[in-house]
Amino acid sequence: MVRIIEFTDICKNFKVPERNKGRFSMFKNFFMRKHKIIQALKDVTFSIDEGDIVGYIGPNGAGKSTTIKIMSGILTPSSGTCIIDGLVPWKNRKKFVKNIGVVFGQRSQLWWDVPIIDSFNLLKDIYKIPDDEFKQTLEVLNKALNLEELLGRPLRQLSLGQKMKCELAGALLHRPKILFLDEPTIGLDAVTKLAVRDFIKYINQQWHTTIILTTHDMSDIEALTNKIILIGKGQILYQGNFDSIKNKYSSIKTIEIEFAKEYDTIELEGYEVVSHNKKFATLKNLPTTEFHTKNFVNKISQKYEIIDFQVNNLSVDEILARLYKEYKL
Amino acid sequence: MLYANYLKMHLKSSFQYRYNMMFISFNQVLINISEVLAVYLLFKQFDSVAGWTFYQSLIMMGIVYTVYSLTECFARGYDEFPKLIQSGELDRFLIRPVNIHYQIFGSKIEFSKLGRVALGIVISIIAFLNVDIEWTALKVIVLIATYVCGIFVIFGLFVLSAGISIYTIENLEFLNIITNGSKELAYYPINIYAKWLTTIFTYIIPIACFNYLPLSYILEIGTIPAWLCATAPFFGMLFVIPCIIFFNLSLRKYKSSGS
Repeated sequence: MVRIIEFTDICKNFKVPERNKGRFSMFKNFFMRKHKIIQALKDVTFSIDEGDIVGYIGPNGAGKSTTIKIMSGILTPSSGTCIIDGLVPWKNRKKFVKNIGVVFGQRSQLWWDVPIIDSFNLLKDIYKIPDDEFKQTLEVLNKALNLEELLGRPLRQLSLGQKMKCELAGALLHRPKILFLDEPTIGLDAVTKLAVRDFIKYINQQWHTTIILTTHDMSDIEALTNKIILIGKGQILYQGNFDSIKNKYSSIKTIEIEFAKEYDTIELEGYEVVSHNKKFATLKNLPTTEFHTKNFVNKISQKYEIIDFQVNNLSVDEILARLYKEYKL
Repeated sequence: MLYANYLKMHLKSSFQYRYNMMFISFNQVLINISEVLAVYLLFKQFDSVAGWTFYQSLIMMGIVYTVYSLTECFARGYDEFPKLIQSGELDRFLIRPVNIHYQIFGSKIEFSKLGRVALGIVISIIAFLNVDIEWTALKVIVLIATYVCGIFVIFGLFVLSAGISIYTIENLEFLNIITNGSKELAYYPINIYAKWLTTIFTYIIPIACFNYLPLSYILEIGTIPAWLCATAPFFGMLFVIPCIIFFNLSLRKYKSSGS
């Protein structure tokens, strides 16, 4: 495995103006600004191998965007070193950015009023892509994303899903070694979401592109990534594969129960009642209780008359919510 | 060539709204004609202002219109720089292997401003035809330098206000004083203003270098030594250099502090 991104002890401080309150605060703010230092990143260290698909996750405001901006050379860190593909992103900018592609989920790099293909041609000039290479790449992207009929239409006529497909294609025209995706599936319908995921996987396999994606959609993480980096309050909390986090919480089960009659209250030693509505209830075993089907059935049928029950593992979202809670994010 | 491609894209975009563009152009020409009328009425009252006749100062106005609108047309990206910051476009520029200035130029080309450029040229021609000038080769050179100087100075002002907006982020109106204010001021012979204003707009923001001074030389009016008036536009051009340096420093600051 070749290390492609090496992030060592990166710190990033922002100076933020502090607002005065009270009388004449507007004037005070205008003339005498007090500043306070906010630490957006604290000693962030991680590494990513070539060909990885990495999920970069964390709650809002954790420092995800700041990290992506540093990795793409938009921001310079306050301290620490970062080497990506042998280069320092914020030095020799022009040489570095040729190797990266970035898709910001919420904003577009394509032109609003002009056919998509024209925007692509502009990108061809910007990245100085040779004609034959451009043609070849476009063909691959066309096939994988079904762009053919979209290319002649301006961005304003496209649906959100179509836009995202074009956006992805646009970021890949110069065949970057590293692709940053900022919430690539936000707002997409189920079918498109799957198509986008398939495409990301396809590109990763086909071109061996290293992909770093931020998302709040945990099914993205589960379907795509082979590594996650969890950040919270500017610090890296976990890096490694997602399965080991899943295993950590695999002992926790949720049990949905249907009772034979209505009970006013449900109580069971070693279990927490998550919800209860007349004949139905959902329980969860406490960390101290190891779930065992036979024991559970014995225990509950002593107190209540039950018809049916179903045991589930924690969903990915719940796991993450627990993780955030554990780290007090 | 990349710039040709940018031009093509902006043409295509604006042709999506061609009636809108035509209307804007027409509208701007109308507004400017009314400005010319205002100056005309002023001169009708006084015959001459600070030793300048109506047609003589009309030349000045024509030059200002031409250079200002030409710069606005092609360097609008600097003028609307706060928008580029807010929309995240600037971040996008920073992750492309092309010089930032090149991309800012490419980001916005406003063809509707060409209506005003045309008006400026028409006004200048009318004015020149109504003024007695003994043309010499040197005067032609100075006139060309005047236009170039005008474009450089206005461009410098745009770059300067773009640089300031990196610190303020918000699109503060006071930045408009720098650009628009300087333009309005340049309609009249600069010696009509108070001494301190004249000093500022000669030595700090060299507005006088592309209207009052070179025209004094070409029209042979005023008391300032001719060689000084003739070389003024060449010195005025230098104004753009510190502006660009300031902008580049501001951009470096942007990269370390973000938005």
